[in-house]
Amino acid sequence: MESNWASEHLLVIRTLMERAAVYRRALAPMMLLSGVVGSAAAAAGLGLGIDSPRGFIGYWLAVSVVPLVGSFLLVRREALREREPVWSPPTRRVAQAVLPALTAGLLVTLVILVKVGDADVPLGNVLGMAWLPLGWVILYGCAIHAAGFFMPRGIKLFGWIFIVGGCGLFAAGIPDLPRITFAHGVMGLFFGALHLAYGIYLYFTENKKQAA
Amino acid sequence: MNPEPFLQLDRVIHEKGRLPIVSLLAASPELSFTEIRDTLDMTDGNLSVHLRTLQEAGYVGVTKTFQNRKPLTTCSLTPAGKRAFANYINLLEQIVQQAKKV
Repeated sequence: MESNWASEHLLVIRTLMERAAVYRRALAPMMLLSGVVGSAAAAAGLGLGIDSPRGFIGYWLAVSVVPLVGSFLLVRREALREREPVWSPPTRRVAQAVLPALTAGLLVTLVILVKVGDADVPLGNVLGMAWLPLGWVILYGCAIHAAGFFMPRGIKLFGWIFIVGGCGLFAAGIPDLPRITFAHGVMGLFFGALHLAYGIYLYFTENKKQAA
Repeated sequence: MNPEPFLQLDRVIHEKGRLPIVSLLAASPELSFTEIRDTLDMTDGNLSVHLRTLQEAGYVGVTKTFQNRKPLTTCSLTPAGKRAFANYINLLEQIVQQAKKV
């Protein structure tokens, strides 16, 4: 009897300690923003015919700044509304978790950007350029999965979708498509459509939880 | 069964309203008043009363600052609070272990 009571107390303590370490701020708006920007940028990239290695890298590096800055502003707005510090312990933990994989992606990208020089060659012919988006997808998946240890459960699964999807496409090889379509398509599918779908899911499930 | 561990449980922590607060603070270097209130679904008044009790026991430190001209109250466990919580967990584990032996 006393043992059951003590076990229940320990379980409650563990659950609460886990909950204290979980980051939840502005997830749905951040996902929706990233999804919309990713989808629009992929369509624009295709439309504009950005197919040089430097153009492709530069274009997507510039695009990535938009959801990054937008997400920070969304988080900041919510924190101020709730009268909480923006740089809260859970936020710090998530930032620390995503940093290694994102830094690796950025450094590899910068090295490729420098190495390709000004070579005016089609996308995919220099340093396996068509594989670069898949590298981004896999590293981004690793970053998201790492952050998932300090976020709601679904985030880890979201990270796995990127990792498995990226590796799967890597194994399958480039389909019989123009390289530019493949490269921007991968970016649009993973960084656009997947974020959008997860954002919509979070938007409705979080609203439902709040209403309950 | 030896009733000793049960009798040693810290009554400041061993209370329905205060145990969750201490548990949350044990998992984080500091938490704002609103974070604790929203996570535990407590009222402002109820949380304030429990925090005051924990503060008077020397288990919780409360800092009041301003962020963008808005008041911000942050709470954290003091070293004494951390020791008391660790001791509380040990006693609960002892109770569970003792029951398993019986």
